[in-house]
Amino acid sequence: MNLWNILLDTLTQGSIYFLIAVGLTMVYGILKILHIAHAAVYTVGAGVGLAVFRLTGNFWISLVAAMGVSGLVGVLIYRGVYFYMLDQPRIVPLITSVGLFLLMQDLLQKPFLMGPYQHAFPAQDVFPSVRLPWGDVPSAQVMILVLTAATLMGLYLLFTRTRLGLAWQAASMDRDMAGAVGINLNRAVALNFLLGSALAGAAGVLVGVFYNSVYATMGDVPSYKAFVVIVLGGMGSVSGTVVASFLLALAETVLLSFVGYVLPRDAIAFLVLILVLMFRPQGLLGRS
Amino acid sequence: MKAWRWLVVLVALSLGVVLASGCGQTRPSSYKIGIFSPTTGFAAADGTSALHGAELAVKYINEQGGINGVPLELVHYDDAAKPDQAVNVAHKLVGQDKVVAAVSGSYSGATRAAASVFQEAGIPMISGYAVHPEITKTGNMIWRTGSLAVVQGRVGGALAVDKLGAKRIAILTIDNDFGTSLADAFKEYVLAKGAEIVFEEKYPLGEKEFRAILNRIKEANPDVLYASAYYNEAANIVRQAKEVGLTATIIGQEGYDSPKFLELAGDAAEGVIITTDLNRDSDREITQWYIRTYEETYGIAADMVGASTFDAVMVLAYAMRKGGTQPDQIVKALAELRDFEDAVTGPFYRFTEGREVMRPVTAQIVKNGRFRFYAEFDDPALITPPW
Amino acid sequence: MGYLVSVMTFASIWAVLALSLNILTGYAGQVSLGHAAFFGIGAYTSAMLAVKAGWSFWPAFVAAILITGMVGALLGLPSLRVRHDFLVLATMGINFVVVAVFKYVDFFGGALGIIGIQKPQIFGWTLRGWGFLGLALAYLLLSLWVSDYLRRTWAGLAFATVREDEEAAEAMGVSVPRFKIYAFAISAALAGGAGSLYAHFLGSIFPDHFAFVESIGIMSMVVLGGLGTLRGPVVGAFALKILPEYLRVVGDYRYTLYGGVLVLMMLFQPQGILGEGSWLWRRVHTWRDRLRGRRVFSPERRPSVTAPPTNPSTPSPPSNPGRGVLQGEADEHEER
Repeated sequence: MNLWNILLDTLTQGSIYFLIAVGLTMVYGILKILHIAHAAVYTVGAGVGLAVFRLTGNFWISLVAAMGVSGLVGVLIYRGVYFYMLDQPRIVPLITSVGLFLLMQDLLQKPFLMGPYQHAFPAQDVFPSVRLPWGDVPSAQVMILVLTAATLMGLYLLFTRTRLGLAWQAASMDRDMAGAVGINLNRAVALNFLLGSALAGAAGVLVGVFYNSVYATMGDVPSYKAFVVIVLGGMGSVSGTVVASFLLALAETVLLSFVGYVLPRDAIAFLVLILVLMFRPQGLLGRS
Repeated sequence: MKAWRWLVVLVALSLGVVLASGCGQTRPSSYKIGIFSPTTGFAAADGTSALHGAELAVKYINEQGGINGVPLELVHYDDAAKPDQAVNVAHKLVGQDKVVAAVSGSYSGATRAAASVFQEAGIPMISGYAVHPEITKTGNMIWRTGSLAVVQGRVGGALAVDKLGAKRIAILTIDNDFGTSLADAFKEYVLAKGAEIVFEEKYPLGEKEFRAILNRIKEANPDVLYASAYYNEAANIVRQAKEVGLTATIIGQEGYDSPKFLELAGDAAEGVIITTDLNRDSDREITQWYIRTYEETYGIAADMVGASTFDAVMVLAYAMRKGGTQPDQIVKALAELRDFEDAVTGPFYRFTEGREVMRPVTAQIVKNGRFRFYAEFDDPALITPPW
Repeated sequence: MGYLVSVMTFASIWAVLALSLNILTGYAGQVSLGHAAFFGIGAYTSAMLAVKAGWSFWPAFVAAILITGMVGALLGLPSLRVRHDFLVLATMGINFVVVAVFKYVDFFGGALGIIGIQKPQIFGWTLRGWGFLGLALAYLLLSLWVSDYLRRTWAGLAFATVREDEEAAEAMGVSVPRFKIYAFAISAALAGGAGSLYAHFLGSIFPDHFAFVESIGIMSMVVLGGLGTLRGPVVGAFALKILPEYLRVVGDYRYTLYGGVLVLMMLFQPQGILGEGSWLWRRVHTWRDRLRGRRVFSPERRPSVTAPPTNPSTPSPPSNPGRGVLQGEADEHEER
């Protein structure tokens, strides 16, 4: 058993899970909405990224464009739809999110957008591959690891060192009190959606490049997998999401490396989740 | 008094319209063939290909004068690959559109469900590419031009052991009926020929991450990896295999048969061999016509799904021309079909008693980014469906 | 005709599914996004008994109901540990695991599914088409009666208490764990019967028929129609089963519109088409009262549930005291 491979795969998969789930955690933390349409924003990011890449040939421009468009789409979803449902029982925004997801996915599948086929995203060589004495890290994996580390760093600074980050933390603890002490909630929530959705778009681009395929239904698995991660982590806690992403990736990779597919990867993930919830109903890092 | 007369005129006119449109016609204006395929949802790529294949067939047939002068009309409904929608659509085609026959451009679950409806209604249905063994067993109205996974699996075995001389074989199977049937038939053949299976595992449809599994396969040191997949998984398997340094020859099947596989896998696809029905290097006129016209019309290279569905329609048209348009006439003509040359994936030697088609299987190899001819398997022992 | 009957049959089966989920989520307040698992367990039980053990439809059908009910009680155990969003995810997980088991364990037929499930027979006459529709409608009526009965009896009250406030319920002597399990069991049993009907109608079943997307579909039907009511789930099921067929006129944009309908409904009528206080229900209500010759008062001006808040921080009480399912923001904070 090659431990290096297991470690590398775990880190890579964990990073991917984190990137997809972190935006969702942010949204959930502040609004407590199960934003399934997040996966559609992710797909939009991948699509925009590929389209811009085909025009410019530049990975970084494509990434920024994808993040920009996804962020905008996210804010539009918040301001145009969720905003009006904040005092409803939470099942209402959930079903709305489902509707949005179906709508967006179906539209994206039309020939004038992404079409029913999969498309290659040949940007794997943006980063150099790295030779280490005990093994290689291919360039696509370097890309994932480096960008995830950068995101983690950026988010940490954002949440702990800026006023906006503090506002988000306050709002996620007690929204009404946060408003009462003078935080402009509207702006905070909108910015939260903007960043969370932009991160989803970035995740879409990175996954699209890593697996060299971009397609309209690529959000199907993330639509529920991301939830496994955030619930495991404790709903709304970014650090919880980090821990949960890597833990989940570890569990899956180890099982697959030593035993194989006793059950599909996603069923394994859910089993892990159910087991954890039995022992810690608030998730790994949730507040009880 | 005046109103009365108007009423009579109105009634007479309506009756006249109804009578004129209904009875008294010696020839219908067109023969309707129904097709259901998923053009929305996760299976939209295959459903769209299937629809295009059928459309081309109808075009080809009508350009040749249709069925004894009467054109064919294709009626398509999307079933999103869901069985309950397929059943509804089947009822619609039979009851409302009153199709002469139907073709399935959909997956196994939907096809099997719809097949019951067509069998009960006594309308012939041909499965274009759905592989489940039980589909044709629904009844005498249900036929299949798609390739039987059992046959392909056997041919894959012959390819691995007889042609490539492999002794150590790894098997990676996609977890649906397609993969399971392929793997079972493949295993039976290679074990009988004395090869050793050094690794065997199944994986979920839609999986993108294979590195962990591929590393284990690499450790088992096989000569050949028989990996069943659809083009998206296949592309990932092939690329990641190259990345982890797996050098064994990879053998795929018709699920790989799509230009998308080549696009997504890139260089990693070089040297991959697949068993399929569409021979790009075929010197048969209809095959070349199809490949050329498909790309001209739809802007994307042809694939096996579209080709199989094309053939299903062609076979139906043949049966209608030869036997007649009544269900039992069509069924009789299909049973009597011999050496049918007008199929892209043919020639079709004949249909078996179990209504499966018998035809040669081709192996294609990826060379310079394209599918090229590698071998053809024509031995009746290999290609005869077991029922 | 066959088309109409086929569509109606599926709509009836899904109406039962929606009603059964309504008992679990609408009455007892346990939000479950894994209901298709029970649908599948019922279908597989019935199919396997019929095909592998040679049972006829009727005993297989009853067995499906009973066995699914028992499994439902078992799978409801997570609800004793987790609540709200955590329960949603746990039920989702159960759905995935159940489908995975059907697919990966050969005993259940694996990827090849179960084929050749025969239609029901009654006194030698096979039920198909209209006959089967009759059977499905009969089961729907039974489910309606069960739902109504539950609501009217002490169990219904207990469910409501559990839904509104678990701590208060315990304080009043209502055994919360017991009633949660009851809700799961009854809900699963009804869904299991629907599964059996589905299997025998379609003739073949595969694991993916019962995947997570179906659970979402069922929940959408309940919420769209009106969560917690008797008429809501039925209307929602019929609407969402007939809609894709009706939308065939717009060809390939069916699901775009379908999603759009869900979004618009939630924006403008979040309580459902026929939920409490909905536009349509108020009309129906008034019209019904007029018919009965009662004096018609202007419909109670209930606090509007659709007015957009001026600021997301405005605290607002639960809009309708009788409809506290899945408490809104205010209560969630107390939970923590």
